[in-house]
Amino acid sequence: MTGVNVSAQPMAPHPRSFARAAGLFAIWLLLVAFIVYPLVMLLLRAFLADGGFTLDALFAALKSTSNLRALRNSLLLAFLVGAAGTLVGLAFALALDRANLGPRTARLIDGLTFLPLISPPFTTSIAFVFSFGPRGLITYDLLGIKNSQMYGLTSTFAAETLTYFPIAYLALRPMLASISSNFEEASFSLGGSRWHAFRTVTIPLIIPALANAFLLLFGCSLADFATPLILAGSDFSVLPTEAYLQITGMFDLRSGAILSLLLLVPAGLVFYAQERVVAGRSYVTVTGKASASARRDSLSTGAKVALLTFCVLTVALILYFYALLFWASIVQAFGANQTLTLDHYRVIFTEGLPAIKDTLIVAIIGMPLGGLYGIIVGYLIGRTKFVGRRAMEVVSMLNYALPGTIVGIAYLLAFNDKPLALTGTATILIACYVFRYSPTGIRTTIALLQQIDKSMEEASASLGASNLVTFRRVMLPLILPAFFAGLGVVFIRSMTAISATIFLVSIDWTLITVKILENMTEVALGPAAAFSVFVIAVVVAVTGLLNVALRRMTAPSLRISRIGT
Amino acid sequence: MKTEGKPIRVDKPPFASRITRRTILLSALASPFVQRNALAADSLKAYSIWPENYARPMLEAFEKASGIHVNFIRFSSGEALARLIAEKGNPQVDVLFGGPVETFTAGEEQGIFEAYTPPSAADLPPRFKSQKGMWTAIADDPLVFMTNTKFLQEHNLKAPASWDDLLNPAYKGMLQMADARTSGTAVTRIFSILQVNNRNEDAGFAYMKKLRQNIQAYTKSGGGGTVPVGLGQAAGGIFFIVDALFTRQKGYDVQISFPKEGIGSAAECLGLVNGNKNGAAAKKLIDWATSPDMQSLLAPSKINFLPAHPKVAPDPDLAAILKSANIIEIDDRWAGDNRKRIVDRWVAEVLNAS
Repeated sequence: MTGVNVSAQPMAPHPRSFARAAGLFAIWLLLVAFIVYPLVMLLLRAFLADGGFTLDALFAALKSTSNLRALRNSLLLAFLVGAAGTLVGLAFALALDRANLGPRTARLIDGLTFLPLISPPFTTSIAFVFSFGPRGLITYDLLGIKNSQMYGLTSTFAAETLTYFPIAYLALRPMLASISSNFEEASFSLGGSRWHAFRTVTIPLIIPALANAFLLLFGCSLADFATPLILAGSDFSVLPTEAYLQITGMFDLRSGAILSLLLLVPAGLVFYAQERVVAGRSYVTVTGKASASARRDSLSTGAKVALLTFCVLTVALILYFYALLFWASIVQAFGANQTLTLDHYRVIFTEGLPAIKDTLIVAIIGMPLGGLYGIIVGYLIGRTKFVGRRAMEVVSMLNYALPGTIVGIAYLLAFNDKPLALTGTATILIACYVFRYSPTGIRTTIALLQQIDKSMEEASASLGASNLVTFRRVMLPLILPAFFAGLGVVFIRSMTAISATIFLVSIDWTLITVKILENMTEVALGPAAAFSVFVIAVVVAVTGLLNVALRRMTAPSLRISRIGT
Repeated sequence: MKTEGKPIRVDKPPFASRITRRTILLSALASPFVQRNALAADSLKAYSIWPENYARPMLEAFEKASGIHVNFIRFSSGEALARLIAEKGNPQVDVLFGGPVETFTAGEEQGIFEAYTPPSAADLPPRFKSQKGMWTAIADDPLVFMTNTKFLQEHNLKAPASWDDLLNPAYKGMLQMADARTSGTAVTRIFSILQVNNRNEDAGFAYMKKLRQNIQAYTKSGGGGTVPVGLGQAAGGIFFIVDALFTRQKGYDVQISFPKEGIGSAAECLGLVNGNKNGAAAKKLIDWATSPDMQSLLAPSKINFLPAHPKVAPDPDLAAILKSANIIEIDDRWAGDNRKRIVDRWVAEVLNAS
């Protein structure tokens, strides 16, 4: 990525759309300022020493066996989490879309699925330690296992899968829902079994979504430092945590930067692989032609029962974790003094109030910006042709693919001085969240567009509509679910993410998540839990409102993408 | 978004008031995008390494005494230092408040402090102040062994009273202590081990490698293992006394003990940040915190640091606990000069040994 040479190439080959050219230019300007520039500053810091360019530090890092082990561990973990999380997400998507659940049951499971996604960092990890540690509520109190060891690959993998599978579900369910049942029915009527139809019709149709989900989860796991920090222990080191510790602890920006740059290679490879999988196939299912929305009957009873059991058990585990969290927020001291108290809530609404206010301001400003940015970039990449389109696609994904630690440090280095002195403002936090978390909206837009036949636009164009009008009147309503997905993710992440912004909070603008981390390391579990409960409540409320808005604004046949609760 | 329901009728405000309203609205919208100015003339900004529950009561007392408001945010020692270094060109704070001396010696080397010697420094022993006046101690914080009482009973153990007691296989995979890359607690622990081995590094590292067998996890922050030990998820660990006693105050059943060979202690300091913008107010805070004015508040606030100022008597309970302790001195010159090398060696030989 160091070679992404972004000389302004905004001039589209079709000069008829001035608006698009201006839009392209504006997007490139933003991408250069908030993605390319900080990274260049970071690379300069990593590779410039003693007045010259040197790769010595990189070679030194590659020679270290412990670094290579961390790289291997990271890849293994990300692969496992990507694969398992995609499967779990697929199971939930199938169960909720195809198992003919009552609307209430479906809504309940759907809502609970999102708890891990909307939770502040560390909550799953801490609940894991309480439940499966040597004195865990499950391992010790319930099962009587005395010396269960829970630090390492298995628990990190389990906790990350549980935390991130909702992202896969979020990416897969709209795709499943938008596959017209005609396809599956056609397969049945030709004498195919359900399994055969699933394998040969459904799966191929959702391959872009599966690849997309895998990529998203792989990226999440590759960049996650919070879970390994708590659960990986000392024998299973991963790169983001190592880089984080190098930077925060050893004051060693250079080797921290270099360590995390190693992550770019696998992130880039997966991205490339995903492109290859998706390219050259047609996934059009929204054609503008009428299709009856028949009752789906594509799962056998046995499959339905198995899927449902699995989902209910997973949801039960999640519920139990959050009950534990809630309990910790209303007792004096978890595990020692179980007297009920509201003290922790009093603390967060007095001492913690500035952090709460700041976080809400940042999240509310970032949300619409991120949503818009997501569909505009997604539309440009997915539907238009211009010079530098691939470059834009890669650049727009960078901050997402990079570990948050690196993005945070890059922002800190780039925006501390002129020309863009943003340290100490909320802008730096908002920009960080928007450019780091909008790729979900971008990719959802692209994936949705891949299912929408070009003929829809051509029809509009042949009736004399301009590009802009076509986008606004035809495409926008169709990709509205992606817009709301983008809104939701940026808001949720603004409320819950920590890895990048921990470097960017300042005296004047601090965040709830930073407070939570601080409380967790200070023998103050109560306030940490209370903050977490508050964050979850706010996110549930806001995503609920977004869902209501989405339902009102889209045609019935497109009421598919749900963002939360 | 579409607004549902009846439109609300609003009488048109007069032109002037519309302008004002628009101005107010615009400035409110713009406020997140610009740097906030100091609220009043009498305020200052600080990074605190002391956790909020220790720093807040102290800094609020300072505001009461002086009328100066301290706007602060808490970071662990490594993070605070990394930020101060990164922000050298455009410092965001005036004071670094609290935190072990090794952070301050490392910061002094990086040139992040401005010399200022408060009046109380004259009363302090040499290990409590920088030779160049870059930092001054406000408290002292010895390390302790903290163990879970129930675990000790179940395994028929006594609270560890020697460094070798921690090598007992009963503790296998059950000790938590801090990671030297992020935590000042860990660095103080490692130098304690070297010191009790008469600075024979090979002997000290041989011990640490043996101890590694019993480690469950190295935590990011010094106090990170206290709740796990309190809950019994871990059997024990090595912590600063202030964190250990706080765990006990919360109601967790833990034992506090000391190794007979001796254990180190870290001076807790503060320093004036180079390029500060509220120097006069910052110096007042430094004067106040290094004097008995602040340190006599520690005991009544149940904050278990030992006062650095010789004229302030420690809390009687704290003094009683420390009576049996063999606290040894770690030369911070020696520690500062060798810190990076020793931590690197720890990472290579101890942390990554497996």
